[in-house]
Parts: sequence; C-alpha cells; structure tokens
Amino acid sequence: MTEVPNAGRVHQEPDAAANGATQLNGRSVDRGHAKDLFRRFVETRNPALREELVGLHLPLVEYLARRFRNRGEPLEDLVQVGTIGLLKAIDRFDLEREVEFSTYATPTIVGELKRHFRDKGWAVRVPRRLQELNLSLNKVVAELSQEIGRSPTIAEIATKARLPEEEVLEGYAVVSLDAPAGGEDAPAVSEHIGAEDESLEALEYRAALGPLIAGLPERERRILYLRFFGGMTQSQIAARLGISQMHVSRLLNRTLAVLREGLLEDEEIG
Amino acid sequence: MTSTVHLEIPASGAYLAVVRAAATGLAAQLEFTYEEIDDLRIAVDEACTQLLARRGSATTLNVAYHLNDAELRVDVSIEAPDRGDPLARDTFAWQILSAMTDEVREQSETGRLWLSFRKAGGRG
Repeated sequence: MTEVPNAGRVHQEPDAAANGATQLNGRSVDRGHAKDLFRRFVETRNPALREELVGLHLPLVEYLARRFRNRGEPLEDLVQVGTIGLLKAIDRFDLEREVEFSTYATPTIVGELKRHFRDKGWAVRVPRRLQELNLSLNKVVAELSQEIGRSPTIAEIATKARLPEEEVLEGYAVVSLDAPAGGEDAPAVSEHIGAEDESLEALEYRAALGPLIAGLPERERRILYLRFFGGMTQSQIAARLGISQMHVSRLLNRTLAVLREGLLEDEEIG
Repeated sequence: MTSTVHLEIPASGAYLAVVRAAATGLAAQLEFTYEEIDDLRIAVDEACTQLLARRGSATTLNVAYHLNDAELRVDVSIEAPDRGDPLARDTFAWQILSAMTDEVREQSETGRLWLSFRKAGGRG
C-alpha cells in the first residue's frame, strides 16, 4: 500500500503476460478454439459465448491481477476488476487485427486495474486516526448487535464508544466502503446455488449484466442473491455464511461497485 | 411535520459520495439502525447511478431528502429533455431499489426523470 503504482513496467510486456497466462495452471488457452469462439461471438453477440470467452481468458486476468496484489486489496477483488477490462476487450476485439487476443486484452485489463487503484487513491490515504476509528467501531457494532439483538443506531454506537455522533459518522464511510481488507476473510462458500442462479440470470440477461455476475466469486453472487432476491437482511446473511455483518456489508458494496462500473465512465471531481 | 433538504450536484458519479454522506447524516438523525443506513446508502447510490446513466446532456442531478417522523423519502431527478426511458421494472437496478426500500416510484414528466423511494427506520 505504500508503493506508488508503477505505471510503466506492466505495460511493456504484454506478450510475456500472455505467455505466462497460457502456461498458468497447466491450462493452456487453445488458440484455435478461442478464434472460433470469437468468430461466432462477433456474428451472434450471444451472451453464452461471451461468458465462455471470459472463462477461457480468466487465467490471464488472474495472472495480471497478481501483479497488483501487494497493494492491500484481496486478490479476488482485483480479479473482479480485471474481469471488467477483459469484458471490454472481448467486446471491442476485432478479428481482422493480426494480433493474439491476449496481447490485445492485456493493456485493457491492466488499465482497468490501474484505474481501480487511482479511483481508490483517497481510500488508500485514509488517515491512521480514521483507520483506528474504523477498527474500534467494527468491534462496538458487533458487540452491540449481540447485546441488543438488532443492528444498533448511530446514537447507540456513539454512546457505547463514548464518541460524539459526528465522529461515528465520519468513521462510517471508511467502515462501510473502504475498510482495509484482511483478517476477516472466511473461506469461500461452496454450496451449490442452482435455484438462486436462475432468478439472478432471468434478470441478468435483460440487464446485460450476465457475464459480470457470472464472473463474481461464488460467495458474492450468493450474498447478492440472498439480499436482493431472498429478502434476507445483512445480519441474517452473515449468520448463514458465518461471517460478520460488516463483512457482508463490505462485500455487497464492493460487488455493486463492480457491477456499476460500466455505467458511468471515468469521472473525476473538477 | 416534514423537513426537506435539497442537494444539487454536478451530473457526475464523482459526487455520489456527497449524496451518500448527506443520506447517512440525515438517517442518523431519524435513528435508523446501522444496517438500515447501509441499505439506504445502497439505494441512494443505485438511484443516482441509474439517472446519471441516462443523463444525456444534463449537467446537474437533484436530490431531495424529506424527513418525516421515522421515515425518509428521497427524490432523485435529472433533466431529460430527450425523454429518456424511466427505469424498467424487470431490471436488476429496480430489484435492488425495491429490496433496499419500502417503496420505489419512477416518473417522467415535464422534461425530467424521477426516481423516488421511501424508507422507514427503527425496525431493527
């Protein structure tokens, strides 16, 4: 997190990245198969083909995401971000270009990852005081929820933490959206979610979110489903998955941020 | 008695943090619980993002927070002279909004697109 993103280095070796990806996991990308898929995708724009292309090139995203992992973000989040770049590359790829897709896609994926860190720049600079505040609030909220059997109000948190409400509110943004990751990650939930998948997918395809949702880690998809379709509260989901409510909140907010990425292009205050 | 807070921001996603922060502060006054506030923030984000995605040439986004007893109503609107489509009910966005709030409405009139929702607090 202390390191400033090195803008130049990653950019210069897309071919190396591509090669690395093809060797990764002993799972080589069959180029003929990929070409054929692309040909059919360009003709039909069939979301199922798009999804297959995403799956085929996921090792490339994972490979590139790993290069950014020492900056305090969980790898799985980086893979999500990288997948957005992959989707953009898939949609824009032109078969007429005499270039391998992986070579073409690498700068787009890396660009997405860099943008992610740039956008989060302020979060990375969250002062130590706020980070500590966040940690102590986490604890207070968890304790209070236990004590009173429901989610506490801001006033209750303030009383318990002996802090002015203003300060609790100040800590809120950090807590809910940009809490430093770490420590709390429970093992991924690997239950099957067939029925849940179906109701998500029914909407997905209309909303063109299909590949993005399909690209989410299973636990995030499950949380998405339980909260938005299953009518469960964050606390109920937390109990069911064996993680804290704050953690559910964080995963939910992150997932939504990823899903919304495509909607609004690059914007900065000014 | 209802109090209302108006916010006008540039039509850019970069200002959504301000809209969320205002919602959080107001909901705290209404004694929303921590989780209710989180839901509210998600709803605010979603409504604003959906309208910004339809902004066309609009330059500002308007948000009105109406505080009434333990309930908050949020009206988000944007100029849409080109009569953009309101949010369809079979979208994921609509699903999010209705799961996070007690009632959602969309409206398109007098050259503006509106998304409004109501959320009551204090139920734990």
